[in-house]
Amino acid sequence: MKIHAFSVKPILALLTAAALGIGPARAGGLDDILKGLLKPPPAETPRQPTTPTAPTQPAAPTQPTAPAAKPEKPRDQLLKALLGGNASPEEEARIGQQIAGNLLGAAPLVRDDTLQRYVNRVGRWVSLQSERPDLAWHFGVIDTDDLNAFAAPGGYVFLTKGLYRKLRNEAELAGVLGHEIGHVIRKHHLKLLQQSQGIAALGGFLGRKLKDESQVVQNLIGNGAEIVARGLDKDAEYEADRIGMVLTARAGYDAYALPAVLAEIGHVAKSDKSVSLLFKTHPLPEDRLEHLSEAAGDRLDGLPEGQAGEKRFYRLR
Amino acid sequence: MKPRIALFCACLLATPAFAAPGVMLKDDELKATASAAAASLGRVAKGASVEILARQGGWTQVTSAGKTGWVRILAVKSSAPAAGAGDVLGLVQAGTSKRDPGKVVAVAGLRGLNEEELRQARFNPDELLLLDRYASNRSDAERHARDAGLRPASVAYLPDPKGQQRENRPSSWSDGQ
Repeated sequence: MKIHAFSVKPILALLTAAALGIGPARAGGLDDILKGLLKPPPAETPRQPTTPTAPTQPAAPTQPTAPAAKPEKPRDQLLKALLGGNASPEEEARIGQQIAGNLLGAAPLVRDDTLQRYVNRVGRWVSLQSERPDLAWHFGVIDTDDLNAFAAPGGYVFLTKGLYRKLRNEAELAGVLGHEIGHVIRKHHLKLLQQSQGIAALGGFLGRKLKDESQVVQNLIGNGAEIVARGLDKDAEYEADRIGMVLTARAGYDAYALPAVLAEIGHVAKSDKSVSLLFKTHPLPEDRLEHLSEAAGDRLDGLPEGQAGEKRFYRLR
Repeated sequence: MKPRIALFCACLLATPAFAAPGVMLKDDELKATASAAAASLGRVAKGASVEILARQGGWTQVTSAGKTGWVRILAVKSSAPAAGAGDVLGLVQAGTSKRDPGKVVAVAGLRGLNEEELRQARFNPDELLLLDRYASNRSDAERHARDAGLRPASVAYLPDPKGQQRENRPSSWSDGQ
């Protein structure tokens, strides 16, 4: 599953060479990425090669100058930073934005303003208990009956309407969001990209010209939102469970709300379609509960009793 | 302290009976009260069926083989779904479509999210903008927490138990077979 055979250095060398070899020169560096960031993303899907998505300067005519002196192109920086494991918060957000936009292409937000604002307040409060309180956190409930929740780099967190319906109180919502926040703050998806897709993407990168950084990002994350269907390794899921439980408790909620959700999900028949993707990409609920039990041991004994927030919980119509 | 706990237990027991079948996820000690310091009433083995009676903080009251006592909440798992709100997506409903059959083409009337759909997904900028509009900020979130009376607690992250075993950390709960 993990690809250790490659080390980063030779890839980077290869990459730099390739980058210099192909692409039309484009002025600007990270600024280009930053500019694109806070604005609405390109209206067309990045895979359509005809649409220019970012303001493009005319290609600098010919003569490659001294390679080292040239400012790196955004796409190269992005790819390099990612493969090197040090994507900046902006680059991280850019990748997350692409994944989030694609996921929303598969399942749009539930059309319920009150619900979405409520989930954002709870999620934001939980995120404030983490070591990355100032990320641009976004939370959303997406319109599908599947039971699942997703995270993308940079602070994007989604849960499905199906899962939301299973929740009984605000603490359980906080627990689910806390698990996803755990993936974000520990950069689990970035690591996944680095380990596997990064290398596969490099193949694609070498094979064809990518017009702009949004294509680079798309190329990195694979097709559409398949990255969220690919699943992280078990340890990442267990870690996110531990973090989710702790963040829930820190936020003043019942620490045992996330385990309660896991137990509830465990009651859904394994053959039920609504959990097939969830169970494919996560350890089974029983195993997750066992892991939490082992991890918690007696460590949470002195914890003040948290709130369930049952009355406050927003219920779907 | 003690009388307060006793009182609290009494309150919990007085709440509507909540007896539900459960199963032990690990070996655990049955405690006389909901406290690590309480007297032991014996052990309950992993896999044992129990009756879940009540909850207090991190503890669950169970009856097992005629004995009633408390185990850590994470040591036991209920073996039936909670009644009520959670059943919307239960199997019963899975087979019946609520939707206009002419409008949505989906197996069993449920709109799912499978791998193929995710792979085919096209970037949706409008939804991303909408998502952005719903975002909350720090002060908004803090106000929500204040209104709700949520009190932040200081809790350390839980270490990976696998790493912990390697360190040979002593622990009172591990059943270490």
